[in-house]
Amino acid sequence: MLRYTLRRLLGAIPTMLVIISLAFVLLHAAPGGPFDAQKALPPEIKKSIEHTYHLDEPLYEQYGRYLVQILHGDFGPSYQYRGTRVNDLIAEGFPVDVGIGSIALALALIFGTAIGILAALRQNSVWDYLPMGIAMLGISIPSFVIAPVLILIFAVTLHWLPAGAWSGGDPSHLVLPALALAAPYTAYVARLMRGSMVEVLGSPFIRTAHAKGLPLRTIVLRHAIKPALMPLVSFLGPAVVGIITGSIVIETIFGLPGIGRYFVDGALNRDYTVVLGVTILYGALILLFNLLADLAYALLDPRIRL
Amino acid sequence: MFSLHAPAGRRALLPALLLSLLAFAACGRHDDASLPQAAPAIKVGTQPAPDAEQVLSRQILGSPRTLDPSLSTGIPAQHVLDDLFEGLVTIDEAGHIAPGVATSWEISADGLTWTFHLRDDAQWSNGQPVTAQDFIYGWRRTVAPATASEYAQALAPIVNAYDISTGKKPVDQLGAEAPDPHTLVVHLVAPTPYFLELLTMAYLAPLYKPAIDQWGDAWIQAGHMISNGPFLLSESVINGHITLLKNPHYWDAANVRIQKVVYYPINDPSAATSRYLAGELDWTNRFVASDTERLTKALGDQVVHGPYFGTVMLGFNNAVPPFKDNPKLRRAMSMAIDRKIITRYIEHGIATPAYNMIPPLAGYTPAIPDWAKLSDDDRHALARKLYHEAGYSDKHPLNVVLTYPTSGPSVRRFMDAIAAMWRINLGANVQLYDVQWKVLLQRLQMKQPIFFWNAWIGDYPDPFTFMQLFQKGFAQNYGDYYDPKFEALLARAQASPDNAERYRLFHQAEQILNDDGAYIPFYYYPTTHLVKPYLKGWKDNVLDRNLSRYMVVLQHEGH
Repeated sequence: MLRYTLRRLLGAIPTMLVIISLAFVLLHAAPGGPFDAQKALPPEIKKSIEHTYHLDEPLYEQYGRYLVQILHGDFGPSYQYRGTRVNDLIAEGFPVDVGIGSIALALALIFGTAIGILAALRQNSVWDYLPMGIAMLGISIPSFVIAPVLILIFAVTLHWLPAGAWSGGDPSHLVLPALALAAPYTAYVARLMRGSMVEVLGSPFIRTAHAKGLPLRTIVLRHAIKPALMPLVSFLGPAVVGIITGSIVIETIFGLPGIGRYFVDGALNRDYTVVLGVTILYGALILLFNLLADLAYALLDPRIRL
Repeated sequence: MFSLHAPAGRRALLPALLLSLLAFAACGRHDDASLPQAAPAIKVGTQPAPDAEQVLSRQILGSPRTLDPSLSTGIPAQHVLDDLFEGLVTIDEAGHIAPGVATSWEISADGLTWTFHLRDDAQWSNGQPVTAQDFIYGWRRTVAPATASEYAQALAPIVNAYDISTGKKPVDQLGAEAPDPHTLVVHLVAPTPYFLELLTMAYLAPLYKPAIDQWGDAWIQAGHMISNGPFLLSESVINGHITLLKNPHYWDAANVRIQKVVYYPINDPSAATSRYLAGELDWTNRFVASDTERLTKALGDQVVHGPYFGTVMLGFNNAVPPFKDNPKLRRAMSMAIDRKIITRYIEHGIATPAYNMIPPLAGYTPAIPDWAKLSDDDRHALARKLYHEAGYSDKHPLNVVLTYPTSGPSVRRFMDAIAAMWRINLGANVQLYDVQWKVLLQRLQMKQPIFFWNAWIGDYPDPFTFMQLFQKGFAQNYGDYYDPKFEALLARAQASPDNAERYRLFHQAEQILNDDGAYIPFYYYPTTHLVKPYLKGWKDNVLDRNLSRYMVVLQHEGH
């Protein structure tokens, strides 16, 4: 397993290089530059600014410079937020997303799996149809609808929770964003869990367990859950990255200082370094969590040997 | 200054709109249910609340790009820097010029030499005195090519500033000198009656050299920054919040009631409205136009809107057909639009129709074309007549593409409406084409679009900031407009130290633009705010700048 992990990590290097190169080329190919503003700059001043950021060099030189820079762990200066380094932006924003994302993920896993299992056990009853119907809604209703509705109910009308802002981790500010973020994931997990549980419960080894007279509790908790988790694990690899790297929608509505906004805002403002920095982070996390998902397979399924 | 709210420029509404759009439009406008029928009553007393409650929660339209006054761009930065730094002069509640670090000033007869007398009790937030040398240091830093400030050119009225910013002269040649620590003499290139207004801007603030020398780029961080305004920086989280505390060393600290100001960057106007209704903001900086009626019903006089120093326009490329040398067509296009319908139904009555470029300005008589006074039918008939005279008819209609920036559903509705007006009133086919803001800017700089959205918010309350848009060689003269008579009037106005004379000349210049149909004015930008009744000292003003130092939180119950 160690050798497998090492091999996968080594294999990630060329993948990352491709991601970085593609992002670099695409960003620079997009029309407009970071210092195009309606208040157009006199050419000499624009030149001097671009010189400061080496944007006047040929693209391959900028690319080479960038690669050397990131090898030193430096993502460079932001063009949009003058005087701020991309490393600092990510260091400040990422914990916010991880904080809210972890809570949302925990909610999604706890409630999603529980609902999914219950629905599978009461297949084709009201306890199946009702939660699955709600889950379908949860998947279909986008977070930009759920979030304002939550704000309307809990902040504007009831005054129980704040409608937004980030107060250095004050838990009351985490609740609504985490709920809004968790809703679609909970629904997805529930449906996934129900599907695989139904399948597992119908399989021969569960029938054998029933025949042996094992209580339902033991059958489900001991024998059925583990194999039923497999599809969930492969879903979770990329989903975890998605949930902890922030959502532009949630961050915008709740006014949170996460990196999801940097990504979109940076792309719109041609803030090359910010977009590249966040892309590298996303890429690395996705590779890492896919690896973790594969390792988890081996732990869950004795038939898989790495 | 430019406008449609450029993301990288001084105005930051566009990112707001773009973001709302990216959040799939729906988050840009909640459904009707998001507004309560009636706001909970707020009981307001007459006495100021205790110091512990003198906390101001303000919305800014996005995270400032930087809090470095030399590098700052955008409205959000200006709002925060208005509280952090104080220039030679500042503005009062109504947006008028008020003494700042300078208590008095004299202007030479030719208008070229300005002498400022600085107060001796002005101090930095560390207790050091603010001197004339601090201004010279700050200004030189803004124009120095090494600083790479996007606002270096704003200092152009000062002798040698332009040559320094383009690297042709050393920085110590800047036309400002300090004969003693409390006197600053500034030499100008031309009489610049709006120079005082310029001096209120952050890029002309004094700077504290020791802090910048010690911390480099990091001097703008809380704990490092030394400022001279009514407030000092306590915390700054990009896209999160910026917290300021009262500066005990400010010369007028005795009259500053607010103890703490928290700025929340919120670029989605609907999110700001929710936060306001939830009692988390004391006032907001924009609401969605289509919410006007409902907000007014629920909140009454907490809804405040007024004129802003900006105009929404459409521009023509005057260098290529069909608009080149075709004033009849250009005027027909302008006359065919029913501005009142747009402002009433799409802007929900909060914007004012514009028939000229320069928004209402004290002392200035706007040049309104005669056709603006015609009835709708007469105006349409005149438009059709000109359209036909320009060589177009139902059989040979005008076909043209109008380029505008992607910025949310309300702009799209507005563009659809005017395209329909051209079709119905003239028979012209105008195709709408939207592109990303940065793409539009690049194309405009390359003079590609032949018919385009344009909007402008004045940098300072003077007609020149608008007139420049049609000056030959000016970077934002996107339509390549040129008229020798117009140029001559501008040159005469710029050389005159007499403001009444200048305004008269600008009025004539504006008339030339109208007669020529140089652009299509649409409406003046409004300011739109929600303001809590317990906030005393807040005043809507045409600059849309409100300094926290003038405000007081009154005793109140509820929020």
